[in-house]
Amino acid sequence: MHILGAHSRGTVAPGPRPPQGVTARSAREGATLPQKRFYSLKVAPKVSSSPTAAKVKLSPASQDLEITKLPNGLVIASLENFSPVSRIGVFIKAGSRYETTSNLGTTHLLRLASNLTTKGASSFRITRGIEAVGGSLSVHATRETMAYSVECLRDYVDTVMEYLLNVTTAPEFRPWEVAALQPQLKVDKTIARQNTQVGVLENLHAAAYKNALANPLYCPDYRIGKITSEQLHHFVQNNFTSSRIALVGIGVYHSTLKQVAEQFLNIRSGSGTPGAKAVYKGGEIRKQTGDSLVHAAVVAEGAVVGSPEANAFSVLQYVLGAGPLVKRGSSVTSKLAQGVAKATSQPFDVSAFNVNYSDSGLFGIYTISQAPNAREVIKAALNQVKAVAQGGVTDADVTIAKNQLKANYLMSVETSKGLLNEIGSESLVSGTHTSPSAAAQKIDSVATADVVNAAKKFLSGKKSMAASGDLGNTPFLDEL
Amino acid sequence: MLSVAARAGPFAPFVSAAAHAVPGPLRPLAPAAAHREHKVPLDLKRPLLCRESLSGRAARGGLVASSSLNAPAGVRCVHNDVAVPDFSAYRRQDVQDANASSQGSSDSRKGFSYLMTAATGVATAYVAKNVVTQFISSLSASADVLALSKIEIKLSDIPEGKNMAFKWRGKPLFVRHRTQAEINQEAGVDLSQLRDPQHDLDRVKKPEWVILVGVCTHLGCVPIANSGDFGGYYCPCHGSHYDASGRIRKGPAPLNLEVPTYQFIGDDTVVVG
Repeated sequence: MHILGAHSRGTVAPGPRPPQGVTARSAREGATLPQKRFYSLKVAPKVSSSPTAAKVKLSPASQDLEITKLPNGLVIASLENFSPVSRIGVFIKAGSRYETTSNLGTTHLLRLASNLTTKGASSFRITRGIEAVGGSLSVHATRETMAYSVECLRDYVDTVMEYLLNVTTAPEFRPWEVAALQPQLKVDKTIARQNTQVGVLENLHAAAYKNALANPLYCPDYRIGKITSEQLHHFVQNNFTSSRIALVGIGVYHSTLKQVAEQFLNIRSGSGTPGAKAVYKGGEIRKQTGDSLVHAAVVAEGAVVGSPEANAFSVLQYVLGAGPLVKRGSSVTSKLAQGVAKATSQPFDVSAFNVNYSDSGLFGIYTISQAPNAREVIKAALNQVKAVAQGGVTDADVTIAKNQLKANYLMSVETSKGLLNEIGSESLVSGTHTSPSAAAQKIDSVATADVVNAAKKFLSGKKSMAASGDLGNTPFLDEL
Repeated sequence: MLSVAARAGPFAPFVSAAAHAVPGPLRPLAPAAAHREHKVPLDLKRPLLCRESLSGRAARGGLVASSSLNAPAGVRCVHNDVAVPDFSAYRRQDVQDANASSQGSSDSRKGFSYLMTAATGVATAYVAKNVVTQFISSLSASADVLALSKIEIKLSDIPEGKNMAFKWRGKPLFVRHRTQAEINQEAGVDLSQLRDPQHDLDRVKKPEWVILVGVCTHLGCVPIANSGDFGGYYCPCHGSHYDASGRIRKGPAPLNLEVPTYQFIGDDTVVVG
């Protein structure tokens, strides 16, 4: 999911300017290691020798992040950093949780339909126009939000903004175009399913929740070919409303965005259809595939976005271990990894899993293990969590975890893409913006006791599980 | 709001589901798993040999599915199924070969095209001119009106020495069958004595037939035939004497009697006008 907004304010020394050839694209969001720092997101002020001197603005026009909330609920946020590349995102609370059982898969098709004909521009024009300026238009969808983002060189912002607005506010979903796009659902799903993790996480949510969050991100097979243009229209009418949209820009002026928002994003007012409240039920789904690697996730209900509990769960995640920080390292700081390493000598991977939604969350562990060892791996991982719950975590561990969390978080907002996501998510949820220092403080305010409580909550909560692979030696929920 | 920071983290490659390579028309299609360019792609068929291959694969946060246009997570199909039609049936012989330069034949091709255009232009102009003149000439006098302007005279009705008068175009038309004596007499007249010198043979086609418009050139009276001092016509109004050829001899008239255009059709008919 997205990180919430913070941008570095001169407290972090700007790194050396990378050579032209290095672009933000070369590091995927998917890097498990901290991403490289690129063009400094904020125009760096000159470091003043006097300790009491106020921050010097490099140019009179250099701006900080500005947020405006319009009366109809639309949030506009922008950071003008004079970057040569501008990024604009429209974040909408229209994720797959807002689908109902009668229109499952609509968001998937909507995601793919971002370049279909709109009222102001034909499909060809959008594709060609964006290509012609060397920009890009992407849609990122999670269970709660859909984010349409465009990026381009500064000079062409008007052009791509026009296409972005067309796509988000005035799609036509011509029936023949929609019909022609349906086979792409299958392709998309198949390619996504090449990663077993995708299937496991979908199953996890389907097992854990009764509704809303149980909806899959990818269209179910029986719905492929049956999604109609009316359903897409209906979904857009009911969910793409002003109070559920945040317009975020990096490298654009706030006045520009404000004008655009007032003129164009006002067309559907109100809050649309409220989604159903997610109800956690717990359960398990097992997918026997015969793969030699078993992916398993065991979770319990976690914390809601923005609650202090959520911070505690985040720190707990890093206490337990949230992915490698050193290439080819042995994850010394990861309790889970160390614990499982004692239980098995076969290759494995384990990580604490934490996801927060607006009305629920999931926290647990995710393991990848060889099929014969799955039982040992999962049990060892859970034992580690139990150890933390029983107080087996020192302040030093918690501090390390906090530092890792802070570093990870701050480095993820170093890139304009990460920053855009962060600002967008936060604007959408709360309409405000947390500075990095405030964010760091919040992390620091988590006490060891909170971490222990979080672990206890996990242990005592009703569990959900999803597993995939050759499940001969994978325990069921009631065996854990 | 920091709770999301944990799940925020750098997205692991697998959680960015639907990350495809975009096959541009000029770039080779990259395999779907190529986004993990800093890791060794996992070959699911091969048994795992080391832990590093699995490093970082465990999911830490929620799924983000993305799809895009012209960015590294969209699939656009290279349109290599679109066949460019074969236009060789429409091409000229000189440019059939797609690999040869068309410059060598460009002069001859252009020349041919220009020639054809010019010829067509000329033909069209000719036709257009004809059509236009036909339409415009239809506005001029019609055949029945034109027919009224001619008179057909049967010559065998006129005996020798006699002058017959006809009404033609509102004017009197004199047709005189001259005797040989008159012809000789007129042929022998000295031109320097004539007010309007014209030889008799210049005024007639056949010497025995003289055809005149019987209007005196002085003030328009009709001269009387076979009278006057010169064996021709005498205008009684002011006393103009004309001879047998219609030339003025004496009197106030300035010019000879007018000779209209006429034509002999066969032996017996003359069409005047």
